[in-house]
Amino acid sequence: MAAKVIQCGPYPECNMTLMLFSNVLNAAEVRKCVMGGEFEAALLKTSMILEPFQVIVAANRAIHLHRIKKMMTKNVHSEVLFSLSPSKNISDSFRKFGLADNETSMFVVIVNDTDGSTCQAVIDRVKGQLTDITDVGKYSDLPTIQKVYKISETELSVCSAVDAVVSRISSKDIVTV
Amino acid sequence: MELWKQGAEAKIHKTDFYGKPCIVKERFSKSYRHPILDKSLTAQRVKSEIRAMLRCRMSGILTPTVYFVNMDSSCIYMEEMLDSVTVRDYIQSVQSSKTAVEAIETLTPLANTIGHTLGIMHKQNIVHGDLTTSNMLLQGDPSNNRLCLIDFGLSFFENLSEDKGVDLYVLERALISTHPNTEKLFNVILEAYCKSNDTGSKDVIAKLEEVRMRGRKRTMVG
Repeated sequence: MAAKVIQCGPYPECNMTLMLFSNVLNAAEVRKCVMGGEFEAALLKTSMILEPFQVIVAANRAIHLHRIKKMMTKNVHSEVLFSLSPSKNISDSFRKFGLADNETSMFVVIVNDTDGSTCQAVIDRVKGQLTDITDVGKYSDLPTIQKVYKISETELSVCSAVDAVVSRISSKDIVTV
Repeated sequence: MELWKQGAEAKIHKTDFYGKPCIVKERFSKSYRHPILDKSLTAQRVKSEIRAMLRCRMSGILTPTVYFVNMDSSCIYMEEMLDSVTVRDYIQSVQSSKTAVEAIETLTPLANTIGHTLGIMHKQNIVHGDLTTSNMLLQGDPSNNRLCLIDFGLSFFENLSEDKGVDLYVLERALISTHPNTEKLFNVILEAYCKSNDTGSKDVIAKLEEVRMRGRKRTMVG
């Protein structure tokens, strides 16, 4: 199993690396590495992710805001985390969507890791199993996701939960839910 | 990106967004408008389109999923509604393959769905602004009446029955002028509309009568 590198649609010169780890033993340690600046990455809470596409849309938005220099947060990786959240409160977004110390699975996003060195650094550091990113659905907590994104049953009668979430991520600066 | 269609306001491109079929609606700048006005009008329309699409969907009306918005180039990346026909094409195909009476019979459930959907929309105070049969899609088998509203570029939020009345009037004109002999269908639409927009429909219908007498634009005399 390897990390998945995806070219950014609107900015072909940019890319994003997505990884999913299961049976993680040292989430707290990995989080400290990112906070301490050992490597730059976005560490996401798997229970808040329905499908990799949700993360791709958030990362795409973050890359776009990074390129046009209109980011709300300090760097592109924190922007990925912030983009994922429907909230405009940065610390609240980090709490809800960022990796917590006691977790045993994690989703990692790295933007523009051209030589793959950051990706390798993360793999070396994490004590866990690299898993196919599409397996992230196993960890998702739909009731909480529905609550955080404020998705009603009426809405789910016409579209899937992923569509509802994606619409909110892409339009978060325009529509307040 | 491949150019698919172009209107007065925007160009529609077809592309792929991370593996999903996607449509890009790009609003181009108009050289005849003052640059400052042009920029603010375009930005405002992109925003209102996104807002209305999301609000409609939240109240249970099918609209395309928005994947990405680029306010700098005024582009909206949205889901391409696969396997769909416009209500316009569907009505035309039914009318051409059946007798007039049969056609009305076949299209009555669709008119019911349209009325019901618009009732919900107006109840949320969303005014579409450009209700035509080309701006409504039927997804899947048309007889399932899975109605999807598109093109919210002229939409706005307003609780006035005047605006809602004009919205219905525009639809009536569009329906009758593109599809002859559909007066009966419009009545079905109105009936269903009154049922789903239970609180406000009386005023809206009264306004519709008024608008029918004078046309879409208000007389500004006196």
